[in-house]
Amino acid sequence: MTHRSMPAPALAAAALLTLGGCTDEIPTAMRDELVQPGVAIEITLPYDDFVTSTAVHGGYGRTSQLGGGVVAHEFGPGPDEEGVEGPGLDAATLVRFGHFPPTITVVDTAGTNRIDTLPAFESAEILVRFDTVGSILDGPVEITAHRVREDWDPVSADWDFAVDTLGAMVPWSEPGGGEVEEIARAVWDPAAGDTVQIVLDSALIEEWKDSTVTSRDVRLSTNDPGVRLRVTLVRILLNTVPSINPDTLVRVPVPTTAATFIYAPRPRAPASALRVGGAPAWRTIFNFNVPRFLNGHPDLCDALGCPVAISADQISYAGLQLTTVAGSPAFAPSDTLILDVRMVTAPDFLPKSPLGPSTLSRRGGGILAPEVFRPPAGQVVEIPVTELVRDQLRGEGAAGGPVTSTLALLSILEPWSIEYASFAGRTSRSPPSLRLILNFSRGG
Amino acid sequence: MRPIILTALLAVAAPAPAVAQSFLGYRALGYPVFATGGRAVGTGNLGIGLAGTEFSASDPAASAGMLLPTISLTMQPTWGTFEVGDESGVSNTTRFPLIGVGFPVRQARGVATFSVAGYMEQRWAGRRTDIIDLAGRQVLAEDEFETSGGASVARFGWAQRIGPVVSVGVTAGAYVGRLEQFFERTLDTLNVPTDVRSFNEERRWRYGGYNLAAGLSLDPHELVHLAGTVEWSSDITEHPRPGTEGRNSYSIPLRLSGGATARLTPRLAMNGSVAYQDWTGAEGFPDGAVSTLALSYGGGVEWTAIQAETRSLPLRAGYRRIAPPFRYGTQDPVETVWSLGVGVNFVELQGRRYGWMDLAVERGSRTSHPLTERFWRATISLGISRS
Repeated sequence: MTHRSMPAPALAAAALLTLGGCTDEIPTAMRDELVQPGVAIEITLPYDDFVTSTAVHGGYGRTSQLGGGVVAHEFGPGPDEEGVEGPGLDAATLVRFGHFPPTITVVDTAGTNRIDTLPAFESAEILVRFDTVGSILDGPVEITAHRVREDWDPVSADWDFAVDTLGAMVPWSEPGGGEVEEIARAVWDPAAGDTVQIVLDSALIEEWKDSTVTSRDVRLSTNDPGVRLRVTLVRILLNTVPSINPDTLVRVPVPTTAATFIYAPRPRAPASALRVGGAPAWRTIFNFNVPRFLNGHPDLCDALGCPVAISADQISYAGLQLTTVAGSPAFAPSDTLILDVRMVTAPDFLPKSPLGPSTLSRRGGGILAPEVFRPPAGQVVEIPVTELVRDQLRGEGAAGGPVTSTLALLSILEPWSIEYASFAGRTSRSPPSLRLILNFSRGG
Repeated sequence: MRPIILTALLAVAAPAPAVAQSFLGYRALGYPVFATGGRAVGTGNLGIGLAGTEFSASDPAASAGMLLPTISLTMQPTWGTFEVGDESGVSNTTRFPLIGVGFPVRQARGVATFSVAGYMEQRWAGRRTDIIDLAGRQVLAEDEFETSGGASVARFGWAQRIGPVVSVGVTAGAYVGRLEQFFERTLDTLNVPTDVRSFNEERRWRYGGYNLAAGLSLDPHELVHLAGTVEWSSDITEHPRPGTEGRNSYSIPLRLSGGATARLTPRLAMNGSVAYQDWTGAEGFPDGAVSTLALSYGGGVEWTAIQAETRSLPLRAGYRRIAPPFRYGTQDPVETVWSLGVGVNFVELQGRRYGWMDLAVERGSRTSHPLTERFWRATISLGISRS
């Protein structure tokens, strides 16, 4: 046969190629006989079957990182989660104000914005705003503003030390802010609003408007017992008469340049209970040892025969079950706590080991209501740890990264609040357990 | 002609070969693929006994008269619907059931052949929902099972003409292919703080086994052509791929087939073919899965509407009644197909085709209570010879 031009077969081949791309549609029917149902089993592993040890570490973060303050006096005396009696909480908020503004912008009589370089500060008050939901009080509370005379470090200051850093520790002359001088006091009535204004005297205003003064530090506290207030904002408001338009009164804010709170007593580390949260924050470390073979679970053995080897793919859900304990009333949760579970990537460096990524921040699941910690507590809460258990069984992360068997239970941000969550430990009657939902197939 | 061959090979390689889609044989090896070209489909033939030099996976002697190296390729798009109980749905797919190459060896006066032909294929999905007890709680579970894949036979063969009347052929083949199964279970999420991950399992096997066939064709008269084939097969074995457990073997019964063509007029020919394969004694299948029907048959006519010096255009019509080997439920399945076809023989000399395209359209149905499937199927075959 000789070579010949064959446009028709070429076209046919092209048509064949085109038809080859026709959409496939797989026949699908909802018929029981086509699918042999899988086996789903839920089991609960007791503490000793999946945990080799736990540890509680504290000191993560600083109170200054909370971005607000706490004011308390003799709040919540009573036993902690292990029954050790403690005094009530005393807490004060320290704030440092910035310079008074040398100029202000005002609207003149012609309606034009102008800069006034000679404002007259007629009076001033400290505006304090409270978190009405997060504060615990029975009625009006008297707030006292003291001038702090001693130098302090806004980042590291605590109840006993004005400066508490690795290189320098400078104690207050007196715990709780050193020698202080009362400026003024005012009563906050939560029924009237969420703010209180503490009026400053003219002498102090005169002193603080001097731009060479570097210390405009105030301590906010209370002597009313049994209250714990959460401060969300502090600023000075200057009632100013502009020289450009003296018939008007302008309120000029002076923001804080630093804020923190100091408190006592510091909670002691628990001997056996588990603790998460607080400021500085507590973490509970679990050393997991998830079994790769399961035995002794009747439902499982009946369905599949025992022992049953389990793999990561068969873990559809894993939840760390914890029993709540009523901790020290001084630090009892008054608002929702959000917990997270993260892998400890270098357990040998605990308590300073870096952590793996958050496992709950995007999926939810670590949200705990404050009610579950109220006496007598004892409620079982569940923290999802599916990804981490799957990683343990797989021997590597979902993306192939290394894994360790050490997990950290912590608040989703550190610190989250001064309040912390307490859970029963290994020696309690309700130690942690691990709930697993396992799936197995039996083919089609 | 090389570009055409290249194009045809690209057609094989480019789209992933989709597979037959039927719920028949869901408990066994699936649905049988009758790997025949467009001419056989159009004339209702089972792939054996058509007059003329052909490439046929089920007629080893049919290539004996081939004078030039030849490649043929067949493609089948299918548009189907199904009813099973109260449920109905659609299934569309495109597959390449047959690729064949014949290479004449002049010194031996025979033809070496190679082919890849579909054998058993399955692709379907099933779903079910159930309320399960999970630690004392009632939880909604949704299961989905999907299976995809199939076995093909890769055959090497030899066809030899012995005198003007007799031709013989033998093939030796191996089963190739893979089977993939996917299972997914989704549990209701209401009972846990976050979502429960779906459970997914993937299992894969590859097919293995051997196949031998011997065929004889006779041209006792210039108007009559006869052919017969006996085909023996070892067990088909599903070998698990890494990560999959379970090795399954299925015995395959002997297959006997025969066919004949009678030329009624210079332009009109009639053919008939029959195949017998008794699966009732086959081992490895679940009880009640195999059919007790063993006989398939088909027949049709071919009329050359246009006959030029080197080209022709035959028209075809046929009917096939096939006994698929595996049931859906307890009823033996039967498939009936009516077909029409047309051939475009671009180059034809002395009754031998060197370049052709065959088109066929089938309308068929298959039933095995409670399943009924209906389909339209097109078959497009290309064949090209080169010197």
